Amino acid sequence: MDANTVLAEINGNIATVGYGLSAIGAGIGVGLVVGKTIESVARQPELQGRLTVLMYIGIAFTEALAFIGIATYFIFTN
Amino acid sequence: MLAELIIAADEAPNPLVPAWYDIVYSLIPFILVLLLFWRVVLPRMQKTLDERAALIEGGIEKAESAQAEAKAALEEYNTLLAEARAEAATIREKARAEGGVILAELKEQAQAEAARVTATAQQQIEAERQAALVSLRAEVGTLALDLASGVIGESLADDKRATSLVDRFLADLESDSASSTKAAK
Amino acid sequence: MLETPLSAVALIPILAFATAPATDAPEFKGPSILDFFPPAIFFDGNEFFEMNRIMLLRLVIVSLIFVLFWLGTRKMQLVPGRFQGTIELGLEFVRKSIVEDLLGQKDGKRFLPLITTMFFLVLFMNLTGIVPGINIAGTSVIGLPLVLAVAAYIAFIWAGLRKHPWTFIRNSLFPPGVPWYLYPIVTPIEFISMFVLRPVTLTLRLLMNMIVGHLLLVLFFSATAFFMVELGGWWIAASAVTLAFGTAFTFFEILVSVLQAYVFALLTTVYIQLALADEH
Repeated sequence: MDANTVLAEINGNIATVGYGLSAIGAGIGVGLVVGKTIESVARQPELQGRLTVLMYIGIAFTEALAFIGIATYFIFTN
Repeated sequence: MLAELIIAADEAPNPLVPAWYDIVYSLIPFILVLLLFWRVVLPRMQKTLDERAALIEGGIEKAESAQAEAKAALEEYNTLLAEARAEAATIREKARAEGGVILAELKEQAQAEAARVTATAQQQIEAERQAALVSLRAEVGTLALDLASGVIGESLADDKRATSLVDRFLADLESDSASSTKAAK
Repeated sequence: MLETPLSAVALIPILAFATAPATDAPEFKGPSILDFFPPAIFFDGNEFFEMNRIMLLRLVIVSLIFVLFWLGTRKMQLVPGRFQGTIELGLEFVRKSIVEDLLGQKDGKRFLPLITTMFFLVLFMNLTGIVPGINIAGTSVIGLPLVLAVAAYIAFIWAGLRKHPWTFIRNSLFPPGVPWYLYPIVTPIEFISMFVLRPVTLTLRLLMNMIVGHLLLVLFFSATAFFMVELGGWWIAASAVTLAFGTAFTFFEILVSVLQAYVFALLTTVYIQLALADEH
């Protein structure tokens, strides 16, 4: 068999896969943050306001990874 | 192939590389809005908030003074009420004492009245008895005369009849005197 | 965060057309990154002042903010009316639940103008992404997020240097309480996270949210148009699905707009708070 024979071909951009991978971690992370916040609010409802702010900060940090994932395509194309 | 890629890259600019015009038209809005909030909106907002706070504080002061007034009024009212209660108590005491005196007086009066009524009744009875006695004495004479005339008028032939007449007379006399003594009593 | 399995299912028919080699069949033209670089309107070719519709939109939004807040606070009543009440509600939300909650009254007052500017500028610029006829967010081109992130960067470094002039940089790079032999690991991490990642993530989070939001909405609505107009027939059923998803994502974009404005202002405040914290 010739080394140059193409056995299978995939169209599209590999960056899509990269974004998919980066979204896994961020997705799990956001899920954990929100889940834990809900748990804490269920335990101590009077802390809800404070915990919500903390939750948004946590989501923002975690979610940034996914957006860096999108951005890497543009970073490395040039 | 490479040329195509270059054209593609040229056609689609990288969104992560800012163009100068982009920076310019971002700085201008940012600075304008920053100045707006810094110099105009937030000072106005702060002024309104201060005024509102002053108003609320003034309201609280007013409410406090009103409360103090109300408290003073309540105290005054309470003192007045206590005084009135004390007065009422004294008046009641006095009234009770007076009432006792009046009662005693009334009792005395009533007793005196009762005594007077009794005395009057006894005097009346005595007077009536005297009158009865007087009238009896007068009547005894008449009766004696009647009897004597009767005795004289009657035929004394029958000894027996004469005796019964005398007896009847005596009995009458006796019953009369008994009834008159009973009335005297 | 934006993709759901259902929406992926809704888009499957499109993929067939997008990947199929164009022959006689009508070709689906999806959204592209060129949406964010429209042709110039004024000053074409001028490197610094070339104005396209997004730049024009930004200036329009700024004048809208001016009109709203100028009028809203011009004659402030002690008992606010409906319009003034709304303006006050927004300003008080930023002041109470973002700035004073994290920075306290004294420090909060110094940074309040900056944070308020960030919140409302980002909010209004984001919301244009769902206004029909405009349909692109003012923050979806990197300039504005970058300028705001640099402003936040300068603000928190300035706050730290001003509060602890001698120890701020040292304590940020060599956090106290860490054993000295860990510094080779900790210091680079701290440096990258504090002086590189913070502004970069601030920029990217906002930018990518807006870009992705725009692309998704355009994808759904252009797919709807494609199914309905180009294909017709039974494909109209598919257009109903994409239309429903487009509508749902429009509402989702409203949520994202508000949330991103909140998060941007909140994170700036958190960075300032960390710089002001006593351990520095």
